[in-house]
Amino acid sequence: MLSESFLPFFTWAGTTWLGTTVRDTVWAFPVIETFHLLALAILLGSVLIVNLRAFGVGNQRAEMTMQLEPWIVVSIVVLILSGIPMAMSEPMKCYESYSFPIKMILLVAAIAWHFTLQRRWTQPDAARSNPFRSKVAAGLSILLWASIGIAGKGIPYV
Amino acid sequence: MTVLGFCEWLQALPWASGVKESSWQFPVIEGIHSLAISVMIWPAALVDLRLLGLAMRRRTVSSVTGQFLPWVWVGFILMVMSGAILFSAEAVKCYKSPFFRVKIILIAIAGLNALIFHKSVFGHAASWEKDPRLPWRARVAGACSLVVWIGVIAMGRGLAYA
Repeated sequence: MLSESFLPFFTWAGTTWLGTTVRDTVWAFPVIETFHLLALAILLGSVLIVNLRAFGVGNQRAEMTMQLEPWIVVSIVVLILSGIPMAMSEPMKCYESYSFPIKMILLVAAIAWHFTLQRRWTQPDAARSNPFRSKVAAGLSILLWASIGIAGKGIPYV
Repeated sequence: MTVLGFCEWLQALPWASGVKESSWQFPVIEGIHSLAISVMIWPAALVDLRLLGLAMRRRTVSSVTGQFLPWVWVGFILMVMSGAILFSAEAVKCYKSPFFRVKIILIAIAGLNALIFHKSVFGHAASWEKDPRLPWRARVAGACSLVVWIGVIAMGRGLAYA
């Protein structure tokens, strides 16, 4: 799927110290992936709790959104930091798959969305004045983050 | 019938071998299994963190459990159902894997821990949940659950590779 112009970058990634070390250490990948999955659980769980509020499902406390925000930011950082060594240890698998580039595009979109309009439109005041818009923002947020998780699961397969 | 014999019989069933041989069924069910982690583990962890006094300290324990435990059950049922299908497709591999055995033991410990907590201290939560420091049994239950579920995820990852 990716254009061949990306090939030198992926080839280089596989020759770096980080890439070769993770690839050559038997336990490194599963251990890093465990942290990746834990952070994913924290992120998706928080995203669900925060955004389902717009639909009147589950948590209805505005202060929960504030409390979970740092967890969302920390889990995104952990996901990226653990994702980089995993991708670098098998760059050709990522280069050849459809899931990896789709996941990266969705990731950029989800981060951009989360820190701009999602926040503004789902704020309590904004949600009261325009509930439809807050539902769209919340629904898109859930959809984006869940798709990133599914695309990640797809990397070894397609 | 031995346990191994049961596993061989199970994965030879047409629907179980169908999941294994299909190009998309196993990864899709695995994806649901992974997503269910976030529906279950994070709400469960938030309850554990509350018991440890590390999150939502201004809210009572019963209000936190009332909000999050329904999600834990939804996620848990999803995980058990998707996990049972994944197990059926690779029953013999799972049976032989030490990671899988430890994973099942850890899930049993998590269940036992939750059961003991609910039957003992949580029964009279109203008498202690406003205290700044919760009873030691509540704190131990929270710490135990947190560690055990992280272990379950780690064993699941080990199982996929070993």
